[in-house]
Amino acid sequence: MPTPLTHDDPVALGPYRLIARLGSGGMGTVYVARSAGGRTVALKTMHAAIATDPAARTRFRLEADAARVIGDRFGARVMDADPLAETPWLATEYVLGPPLDEAVEAGGTLPEQSVRALGAALCSALGQLHGSDVVHRDLKPSNILLTAYGPKVIDFGIARVIGDEWLTRAGAAVGTPAFMSPEQATGQEHDAAGDVFALAGVLVYAATGRGPFGNGQAADLLYRVRYADADLAGVPVALAPLLAQCLAKDPGQRPTTAQLAAQLHDGTGEFAEHLPHELLAEIARRAADVWRLVPQRLPAPAAGPETAAATAAAARRPSRRRFLVVGGALAAGAAAGGGAWWWQGRADARGGGGTTEKGGAPRTRNIKPLWTYTFSAVLSDEMGSVVPQSLGGIIVVAGAGAEAVSATNGVGVWDGNGRSEERSWQTLVTGGRLYRLWIGEETDDGIGSAVRLQILDPKNGKTIKTLVRFAGTNDELPTHQLLCITDRVAYVVVGKGKDDGTGTFSAGETDTLSAADIETGKLLWSKPLPVRFETSSRLHFLAAKTVGSRLVTLQQSENGTVHVVVWAASTGAVVWKQPYDVDDPDILRCEIAADSDHLYLGGSRLWALRLSDGAVTWKTSTERAYGPPVLRAGILYAVGDNAGLTAVDARSGKALWTERGGEVGEASTSGPPILGTRYAYYKNGSLLRAVSLSDHTTALTYQTSGKQFYADSDAKLVLAVDGAGMTAYPLQ
Amino acid sequence: MRVSGAGPGIRGTKQIGPYTVVTRLDAGVPVHTPVSEHRFIARSADGDRTVVVSRPLAGVDPRRFMAEAEASRYLLGSWVLPAVELAASGEQPWHARPYLPALPLPVALTVHGGPLPESTVRALAVALAENLAVIHGQSLTHAGLCPSAVLIAADGPRLTCFGAVRAAAPDGVARQEAPGLDPGSLPPEQAAGGQPRPMGDVYALGATLAYAATGYSMPEREELPTSLRSLITRCLSRDPAHRPQLIEIVDELAGSPESDAPAGFAAPTRADALLGPGWLPARLVAAIVHQSASVLAGEVQFPVQAQAPVHESWAPGGAPSGAPEPRRTH
Repeated sequence: MPTPLTHDDPVALGPYRLIARLGSGGMGTVYVARSAGGRTVALKTMHAAIATDPAARTRFRLEADAARVIGDRFGARVMDADPLAETPWLATEYVLGPPLDEAVEAGGTLPEQSVRALGAALCSALGQLHGSDVVHRDLKPSNILLTAYGPKVIDFGIARVIGDEWLTRAGAAVGTPAFMSPEQATGQEHDAAGDVFALAGVLVYAATGRGPFGNGQAADLLYRVRYADADLAGVPVALAPLLAQCLAKDPGQRPTTAQLAAQLHDGTGEFAEHLPHELLAEIARRAADVWRLVPQRLPAPAAGPETAAATAAAARRPSRRRFLVVGGALAAGAAAGGGAWWWQGRADARGGGGTTEKGGAPRTRNIKPLWTYTFSAVLSDEMGSVVPQSLGGIIVVAGAGAEAVSATNGVGVWDGNGRSEERSWQTLVTGGRLYRLWIGEETDDGIGSAVRLQILDPKNGKTIKTLVRFAGTNDELPTHQLLCITDRVAYVVVGKGKDDGTGTFSAGETDTLSAADIETGKLLWSKPLPVRFETSSRLHFLAAKTVGSRLVTLQQSENGTVHVVVWAASTGAVVWKQPYDVDDPDILRCEIAADSDHLYLGGSRLWALRLSDGAVTWKTSTERAYGPPVLRAGILYAVGDNAGLTAVDARSGKALWTERGGEVGEASTSGPPILGTRYAYYKNGSLLRAVSLSDHTTALTYQTSGKQFYADSDAKLVLAVDGAGMTAYPLQ
Repeated sequence: MRVSGAGPGIRGTKQIGPYTVVTRLDAGVPVHTPVSEHRFIARSADGDRTVVVSRPLAGVDPRRFMAEAEASRYLLGSWVLPAVELAASGEQPWHARPYLPALPLPVALTVHGGPLPESTVRALAVALAENLAVIHGQSLTHAGLCPSAVLIAADGPRLTCFGAVRAAAPDGVARQEAPGLDPGSLPPEQAAGGQPRPMGDVYALGATLAYAATGYSMPEREELPTSLRSLITRCLSRDPAHRPQLIEIVDELAGSPESDAPAGFAAPTRADALLGPGWLPARLVAAIVHQSASVLAGEVQFPVQAQAPVHESWAPGGAPSGAPEPRRTH
């Protein structure tokens, strides 16, 4: 999905005016660009610094030549190129269709019919290349774009003329291990038969969602490519022998592209007719979305803080591996029930909205919290956030561990951290019940037992009843998620496969989005989710909510990009999917604002997306960032960067009012405001600010070190959570 | 050194208001199927905005045409394309709305190679009926629905040609010979010169659905699919009082509201349930995507000075390559 240009992108390259960015990598950047005649193209550039190397420049020229050799039908049509410019560039047709890897990640694996049609078309594409004595050498799912008229092979970055010695040396280290041929893996000649090997790997991926040699470290993969049999589990039975032949270690045993094509497909019907409806709908959506593209350029960033934050984020790589006990307080058992606490000025604060100091007027600034509770263990981890859930006067805070606190005074009630068998907590309060998705202790064999959805007693954290057992899943995987429970249906992410004990995703793990009836315990449906790299710490979903007959999710992909994905709640079919451009996905971990026909999202700008099809009904300009919004009675409340609390008419997207009179330079947009009946609360600088909903000025401010803020509407509290503990403020 | 690739060459220029024509929207509409306005896909001079721009046919009063365009700006509903930009007074008449890839219904039949599947017609019927009900709720009558007025986009239909009947000839004047009106879709009372009323839209809807299901807007009863036969026949009653209400059409074709919607929530429209992936034959989706790719790749010559107008034609469907060579007809 295109993103705005950055401040230092050129205005134009050759006769092409740049419009947006499509992607960027170590070698260069790909842009959307327009000619003077209004033709829209994809414009691939090579960084000027890299282009100083004559070998790199030659390879760039060869790529343009190879793209021409493969032709318009099986490749992106080359419109124009200047390999001799200071920044060499190549303009091709703007292809309407997702790369195969994205298509499989988003819509699941392809049925046999599609795999066959795809394979036959790729055979023709490779046949065209090989006929001109060119081999691709890097055929892989991300280099294959699926259009309505057939696949297009792109990225000939390492394609070369067969027998070209000089470039063989220059390109020796390139290729993608998961789809590399054994001969390429050993540094030998990779010729047409090598491309057939890679093609079979691509088809295995299309049919199963993983390559024939799995995932993992490059060295392990290369070893398996050279010595292990291909894993064809899940490949349609009729295809397996054929693909096994293509994956023979001996290039001489593999069929030619023509032989393979003949066995894959009889050539009847149009390509589109062989595609799943959902994939074709995704292609059509891209064909329509490209017309919404508006040229945009980001301003130059202010120097300093951003890079510092990035470095800090990179340095922080904790694992989800159990929890870390702080200060040994747990073992000592000094604080009964676990956790230390303070209780400050509760009665006063509850009374009038401000504490009284020395008999003077009620204090309205820098007020202390009602109570503070310090966690007995580190509950936060890299994968999720620590979320308080309140039921019957008890607040359960769950993350990598769980603890429960009395809402009235912040005294610890129970502490789940000491229980060795529980590994990580996914809890949810809805309909007067506290639910928990069991994630068990890791064992030596990593095999575990079925994931269970249970009802917990908030008074002691003990299991009252097990509602659903997800057969065949592994409760040791720490990557399960309890998304939401609506109308007796629970929506969860559960995984199968062996836990490798890294505390993150495991190699070979396969996850599904599943729905189960909590009354009968029956699984209603199950949809495969993209396979994560092992050690990936990105949980599949940031937020989820049912709206009417749909399950609305914010889904995160391996590389951190976010999609709004709307599923039919009854079947799990994807109704629509929209990329969602946001700088920091983590701030989306909060309730999604929605009414019966729109979703409202923040995170960068504010957007209203039509629930029926994901069309953007309105959005704010990119000039100002907004945090996630909260919806109440047709009005959205969100915190604007340098604007503070802002109220927006949900229907029209028109701003109704913005807070007045307060300093707003430090307004935090990293979460939604908390709405009370009189005030809306949000963090500004180091204070929690309560803005009056009637006169729009700051009424009260509280001291806080909280990072995330949650409303406990039962106990009428604003709860602030940070790495060390939880603090409560009155919610009014 | 620059190496230039093969691509569609710079084409001639036709200018409508601030827009330069990329191609005709209705190239490929069979000659016997009237279109009530000239429709073009056109581009702003900076190349950044692409629109569908309409001009009146010869013989249509430009003031009446512009009055209908003005009224269409306020149309509501998901399945209409309201005008968003109009010619200034004194200028040659035109109006424009943002482009989205879509085929006129007659072109869709050509691409499909015949009448559309019953499930597709059903989805079209519900979407159009629901949107006509919205328009009637605005106290407006569409009075322009006919096969070519319906554009087929990948996510559902888009209704255009608002007010074509009123623009073609004033009330009180017989309209049988009026330019651009499809005789099969013109309700008898409007053909006789009557003021267009909501039940006339029901007649036109029936004729349009008949066209989608058979290829003719005046089919023999037996040609209609049995499941749609009685309903379409009732829409085509000569007496407006015998035509069904739009809500009856929706109820009969959409079935009961989605059963899996929990109490308190309903799908935004009943048509949405019918317009999910697979509602349109794959070949048509491919042709719509193909149009998008062609318009993306098309180059125009923006006028530096006034140039002689040259018509361009673009044929949908066509060869299964990425971006086809546009065909020059003049």
